Amino acid sequence: MAKTRVWIDCDVGADDAAMLLVAHKLEAMEIVGISAVAGNVPLAATYPNARKICHLMQAEYPVYAGAARPLVRKQITAAHIHGSDGLSGVELPLPGREKLETLPAWDAMYQAALTHDNLELIATGPLTNVAIALAKYPALIQKLRRILIMGGAVVGGNRTSCAEFNIYADPEAAESVFRSGVPMVMCGLDVTQKAYLTKAELESIAALGSAQAKTFAAVLQPPLERVLQDGWPGVPVHDLCPALYAVYPALFTARQAGVFVETEGSVALGKTVADLDSDKKFADRHVTVALGIDRKGFVETVGKAMGKYRT
Amino acid sequence: MHPIPIVLDGDPGHDDAMAWLLAKSRSMLEILAVTTVAGNQTIEKTTYNALRICTLLGISAPVGKGAARPLAGVRMNAPSVHGESGLDGPTLPEPDREASPLSACELMAKVLRESPRPVTIVPTGPLTNVATLLLSHPELKEKIARISLMGGGIARGNWTPAAEFNILVDPEAAKIVFSSGVPITMAGLDVTEQALILPEDVEKIRRIENPVANIVWQWLDFFYGFHKKLGYAGAPMHDPCAVAWLIAPEIFEAKELYVEIETQGRYCRGMTAADLRGGAAPNVTALLGLDREKFVELLREAVEAYG
Repeated sequence: MAKTRVWIDCDVGADDAAMLLVAHKLEAMEIVGISAVAGNVPLAATYPNARKICHLMQAEYPVYAGAARPLVRKQITAAHIHGSDGLSGVELPLPGREKLETLPAWDAMYQAALTHDNLELIATGPLTNVAIALAKYPALIQKLRRILIMGGAVVGGNRTSCAEFNIYADPEAAESVFRSGVPMVMCGLDVTQKAYLTKAELESIAALGSAQAKTFAAVLQPPLERVLQDGWPGVPVHDLCPALYAVYPALFTARQAGVFVETEGSVALGKTVADLDSDKKFADRHVTVALGIDRKGFVETVGKAMGKYRT
Repeated sequence: MHPIPIVLDGDPGHDDAMAWLLAKSRSMLEILAVTTVAGNQTIEKTTYNALRICTLLGISAPVGKGAARPLAGVRMNAPSVHGESGLDGPTLPEPDREASPLSACELMAKVLRESPRPVTIVPTGPLTNVATLLLSHPELKEKIARISLMGGGIARGNWTPAAEFNILVDPEAAKIVFSSGVPITMAGLDVTEQALILPEDVEKIRRIENPVANIVWQWLDFFYGFHKKLGYAGAPMHDPCAVAWLIAPEIFEAKELYVEIETQGRYCRGMTAADLRGGAAPNVTALLGLDREKFVELLREAVEAYG
């Protein structure tokens, strides 16, 4: 069976790191490139973090740097969750500079879409790089099969009462992507907060023994301790959802909707406004909104992927 | 036990009429005044409807005509839901009285001032009158026991994806009410869309033999017509939820939440933004679920009370 070819745009990030570690071992997935964007921490950390994780995976994926700041707004980060280095203080070696990519993220993304038909884009940070790519290369809109994101929430938020971090960090970029017409899969807090790993589950991944499995558990350990104190059952690994959805959609329940991003509100700035239950529907309803997950299947899939590391 | 003194403030409207029917049916509620607001239809139409409903139901409280337009927004009506009259369907008796010479705001102020006990206001339309009262009579705030309103939705809207009609019509008024510090019970779409009266329930009401039942089943039949086309299994009894909670809070599932009103935005104007993360001090008792059968029983009993 043909593999699903994906480009991964991320802001590594504890759960981005976990996502990359799993995605690399998903048999049905082929990663053609990775790009970094400012988000959880500044680009000066997310870009080297992406390279560090690739090095740890002994993978030769090309890694590109993208936008250092949102389209128009002041930059915000989530260092209080991911650590100021973005990897919860876990130290990893940075590979040498001999293979450093020089193209910016948006150019590399477009080149990849020209090379690979039906390329799918997985975005797990603010949508700045994706918005720039779609603006610079309108032809990309037809080239991409779909964009799968971690971002937003039909109900509630985390950064504010109404907004999830990735969307709130760059609402104009997000609105631009939702308006592009590219079919989208939105994995918002509605599903990602259900995609958690308990303390015991994280321990059993660490016990797999490989350097990669230990790193997976180590980067998620501080966020786990934080959410356990708040009474959550485990640490949500938000960014895993769009990667898993790309190849295992049966793990999820989802509904088709129109979704747009509030860019002008006072309270609701950065809200992903979905028309799921309202009488009034948007004219454009090209977003598949993931709402539920088979958590047992999720835990098994993650464990199986992480079990493939042998170092 | 003293009855709870209430003011009914609405834009009737089929479900406002059902709410008022429910309020009238219970001796534990004492209706001090009825006030009208533009919403489902223009103020002329909602006031005429209010007078006809009070005549039909035997509500003797004075009817005060209220705001013709929202505080700051543009006028908006809902003829697709309630018809051109705002209360299409059966023929109603002509009003047995005229509206009070006092405006809605003045009438509310009067009954609040004169009531020995704090009064509960039950708004089932846009919040223009209540906001005007709070702005113009800050000294009467302590005389308001609670505002039990139909409006908003935490997980959803109806008139837009993010906003429910009553709040959308006058978000600025809603913002004034929600930030007033007066205790609020919010019967939003989260609960009211579950408060369905099914065709078989309507059939049971049709078989009740009294003049009010004969009107009510036709209202419900008309109201269901609009919703049936949207795929509803029954007619959502939005407004009666705000009254039913006063009568039987135990049939509702509720949560204390901090809720703010979005007055701006491309998509979110009129949204009731709840902070589900916790932390912020709650200002609203949000109704989230109900025992539908017990709720419908309250409505049926209210109709049966007429003979």
